[in-house]
Amino acid sequence: MKECPLDTCFVPDTTCALGHLSLKDCSKWTGQEKSDTAQTESDDEIVLPWSGSALGRTDIGFVGGRRAPTMIGVVGPENAGKTSLLAAWYLLIGRGAAVSKRHVVAGSFTLTGWEAVARSMQWAPGTLPEFPAHTSTRGGRGQGLLHLAFREDGDRLRDYLFTDAPGLWFQKWAINEQAPDAKGARWIAENADAFVLTADCAALAGTDRGSARSALQLLARRLGANRRCRPVTLVWTKSDIPVADSMQAAVRDAVRSQIPDFEELKVSVQAPPDDTAGFGTGLTDLLKHTLQIRRLTQVLPPSRAKTDDPLFLFGARS
Amino acid sequence: MTTMSAESMLLIGESGVGKTHYGAQLLKRLLNTNGHFRMNGAATNLEPFEATMECLNDGRSAAHTPTPSYIDSVWPIIDSGCDTFTLVWPDYGGEQIKTLLSTRRVPSAWRARVATASAWMLMLRLHQLRVSDDLLSKPLATLAEGEAGEKSADKLIQPSDQARMIELLQILLYLRGNGVGEAANIPQLCLLLSCWDELGQPEPPQAMLRRQLPMLSDFITSNWKSPIVLGLSALERPLDKIVPDEEYITRGPEQFGYIVLPDGTTTPDLTFPLAVLLEHTEQNP
Repeated sequence: MKECPLDTCFVPDTTCALGHLSLKDCSKWTGQEKSDTAQTESDDEIVLPWSGSALGRTDIGFVGGRRAPTMIGVVGPENAGKTSLLAAWYLLIGRGAAVSKRHVVAGSFTLTGWEAVARSMQWAPGTLPEFPAHTSTRGGRGQGLLHLAFREDGDRLRDYLFTDAPGLWFQKWAINEQAPDAKGARWIAENADAFVLTADCAALAGTDRGSARSALQLLARRLGANRRCRPVTLVWTKSDIPVADSMQAAVRDAVRSQIPDFEELKVSVQAPPDDTAGFGTGLTDLLKHTLQIRRLTQVLPPSRAKTDDPLFLFGARS
Repeated sequence: MTTMSAESMLLIGESGVGKTHYGAQLLKRLLNTNGHFRMNGAATNLEPFEATMECLNDGRSAAHTPTPSYIDSVWPIIDSGCDTFTLVWPDYGGEQIKTLLSTRRVPSAWRARVATASAWMLMLRLHQLRVSDDLLSKPLATLAEGEAGEKSADKLIQPSDQARMIELLQILLYLRGNGVGEAANIPQLCLLLSCWDELGQPEPPQAMLRRQLPMLSDFITSNWKSPIVLGLSALERPLDKIVPDEEYITRGPEQFGYIVLPDGTTTPDLTFPLAVLLEHTEQNP
C-alpha cells in the first residue's frame, strides 16, 4: 500500500479522495511506500469513501461533490439541548414522522453518527433511555457534521449538514472571538448557511438563570456580528419548563438587537398533555422550517446590454 | 420466440431471511411448470439447492448456508409467451452482507456482481426488523440522571435495522457508480418481505413496510421511481429442522408458498417477482 500526499486523502483508511477505485489510476499517488501496518487490505478490495460516522471538514468534499450542501449551524451553550435536538430529529425521521411530501429522506453518509447521538434516547433491553451524552471537545462521541439528503417535491435532491459541536466552543467564542479553543465555533460561524440558536429553558428558569441569560446574550451578540445576513432561528429548547416572561423578553430583546429578522420556535421532547402522537413539541415544525432555508445567493445587477447574445451581454455599453 | 440475453439477479439478504429456501422453492416451481416460467433445459448447478430441496421433500426446513459460500446457479428459463432467457440465481451465506457492512471493504467479486446485475431483489424478514421505542414515542416520567454521559459515550454503536439496510443500499448504489439520490439508470429494485406468514397482518406489503420501517420505505421511494414491494412466504408455514411436516411429504413442497401482490391478494406463483422484474428491466434496459 502506498501513501497519498494529499492532505484530504486518507488512503488506506478510506478510498482515494479523488474517486479512483484503483490507486494506480490516481495521478496524485506518489508511489511512496507506506510504513505502517495498513497492509491488511487485500488488493482486490475497495474501501468505502465514507465511514458512516460524523463527517470532519475534509470529508465535506465527498458529500459536496454532487452539489453544495446546506450547512445548519446548531449554536448554543453547553447542555442547551443541541445534540438532543439532532437526536430527536433523527428518531422522528426513523419513525416516518418528520417528513412530508415536500421532503422525503433520500439517504445519509453519517448514519452511524446519527445512531450515536440518538441511541441513548432509545429504549433498549436493560437500560433506560436518557438524553445524549455531553458532546466532547475531544474523544468519545466526537463533534462533527451529520449529513442527511432529502428528495424535495419528488424531484430535486438537497443535502444538509448539521453541526454537532460542543457548547463550550460557543461559550469561549462568545467571550473571545479569537479564543484558541473556539476554532470550531469560528469555522461554523464562517461556513454555516443558517443558524439555530438554542436557548435552554431549563437553564433560564434554574438557579443560575442570570448567568445563563448573560451567556446567551453574549452569544447572540457574537453570532449577530458574524452572521452576515444569514438566517437565524432562536429555538427555546426544553420548552416544557416555564421561563419567566421577563426573562424571555430579555433574551428576545438581546437577540433582536443584533438579529432583527430572527425567527423563533419552541421545542421539547415532552408532548403536550393531550397529544399522544409521540412527536414531542415543535420538533417537526423546526425541522420543516430548517429544511426550507435556502442559501443566500448573489443577485447580479441587471444588464444594460441591448443584445440577446450572451457573448455581448456583459460589458456592453448602453 | 424471442431470445433474451442473460439476466443476472442480485439477490440481497442478510442471514436468515430465507434466500436458499426461496431459491429451492423457485427451482421446484420452474421444474414443475406451475408458474409463469419453467425451466428450458437444465440448470448448470443445482448443488446449492440440492440439500434444501431434499429437506423440503422430507417436510423439514434446511440448514443455514455456510458463510463463505457464494455460488451462481445459471437457469435457462422460458415463459408462457415462449420468450427465453437465462437467469443467474445466486446462493450465499447472508453473513457476507454483515461483513461487508462491518468492515466497509468490498471484495472485487461483489463489485462485479453489483455492476453487472440487471435487477436487485432485496429480501427483508420484517418479523426480525423493527424500530425501537424512544423518549418521544414512549416518554419516561422521570429521566435517568447522573451517569448518563460515560455510558453512552463508551457504547459500541450498533446501527438500527433501518440504518443498516439503508447503508447497505447506499453501498450498492455507490458500487454501481450511481451516487445516492441519483435516481437515473439504477437497477430495478424488488423488495421481498419474506416469511410473510409470520406477520399475521392483512395489510398490503408496501403499507406493511411503511408501518414497520418508515425511514427505509422513504429512502427507497425517494431513490427508486417505481420500486416493487411484494410479500413472500416461500414455505407457507414454519417447518422444523428435525420433525417432518406430513402434509409437505404427502403433497410436495411445490404445493406450498405464495407471493403477496401489491394489492394484498396472494398468488401461489413464486415466479411472479421474476416476471415483474423482467418486465421492468425490459422497459428500462
